[in-house]
Amino acid sequence: MQKLAQQFVVVADEVYMLYPEDPGNLARVADNEAHRLFKSYGESMPAGAWNHPGSKQGIFMMGPSGEYLEGKATANGDPRDIEARLRRALQAWETLRKQKKYANRPVPAAVEAVPPEVAGKALILRASLRDLPRDGNAEAAAPSRWRRALGDSLGWRGFTQWAWNQNWIGFDEARVFVTGSAEPVAVDADVVRRLCREVLVDNVRGQAPWWDAAHVRKAALTMRRSKAGKVWRLEYVGEALLQDGERSYAARLRGDAEWDPQQQRFLRFELISLGDRRGAAQFNQRHDDPGPAPMGVALRLFTPPSKVPGTSR
Amino acid sequence: MSKLYLLALLSFPLAAFAQQPLPIQAPTPTAETHARWLEFLEPDATEAAYRTVAWRAEFWPAVLEARQLGRPVLFWAMNGHPLGCT
Repeated sequence: MQKLAQQFVVVADEVYMLYPEDPGNLARVADNEAHRLFKSYGESMPAGAWNHPGSKQGIFMMGPSGEYLEGKATANGDPRDIEARLRRALQAWETLRKQKKYANRPVPAAVEAVPPEVAGKALILRASLRDLPRDGNAEAAAPSRWRRALGDSLGWRGFTQWAWNQNWIGFDEARVFVTGSAEPVAVDADVVRRLCREVLVDNVRGQAPWWDAAHVRKAALTMRRSKAGKVWRLEYVGEALLQDGERSYAARLRGDAEWDPQQQRFLRFELISLGDRRGAAQFNQRHDDPGPAPMGVALRLFTPPSKVPGTSR
Repeated sequence: MSKLYLLALLSFPLAAFAQQPLPIQAPTPTAETHARWLEFLEPDATEAAYRTVAWRAEFWPAVLEARQLGRPVLFWAMNGHPLGCT
């Protein structure tokens, strides 16, 4: 699959901004050139493949001018189906590129994508989150992928049994998480509140909004230096309670980090949140799973590559 | 005086609540379990295989790149950015 994908310029993007489903927002993007190209491509798809009117989520293969090669709106994630579509797309591409004399130059590697909101920040953290085991013996069960087999038997909804997600957060100053004190001192309250509001969000199964400021009932994180020297060792301990009506997340936090005081940068930063979630948001697929149920979040330092490996970029 | 007393009385439960540990059923993260939970929560090699693909994160710049290279585009579109780039 990866080798087939190398033949394309591969892109993942939010489709609602490109082709909104509601008429008001659709009218707003009508003159946008990206929308017009995507619309033109979609309207050249075989009958039924464009899912119109309806969601334009899916897998799409197109020539550089939007020529239809393959694809399907609302495509499922079956790897055999996607591989077959990639192969058919490349067959169609061989004909198209000769007809239109496309250069067909090699596709360079890409620096791993981060959201524009965090790109260039002094401290970038990647968050991974998923449900924790519910068998009452959670620590013994970790780190097995506990419900994957069950998920495989449930059709498309099976993803709810093994789902995990990834989010990002960036900070302008890495030093907000650094202290020279051997005794615990509080991390700046605004920093902790922001971290809790943006990252301790139940979007394991689907989208959920950040917590509002008013939803933060508790957000506390202390830090202490446990080891000095050329590389400082830092430890973090905290608690969070976020609540919006029936929806809530109550968690304990703990982290470890290594700080280079000379270069003023983290060499390692890891923060874990284990807690109980309750309730559902509009799109996070929790309406049949209101909880309380355990959910965890892991934050880890992300260091962007300085250049694309194997290229001059 | 009575108003101050009433205020103190009313604010006591909130103050007490702020100082109490939260009643959480989930395990407590500790130094001993830190590495295990990190491994549990983060994607394993199979789950992270998507990172071996050279994803671009925005549709239109990818189209312009494809035009420059004369290459086809593979577009994964979702409500909610597939790479978490929301």
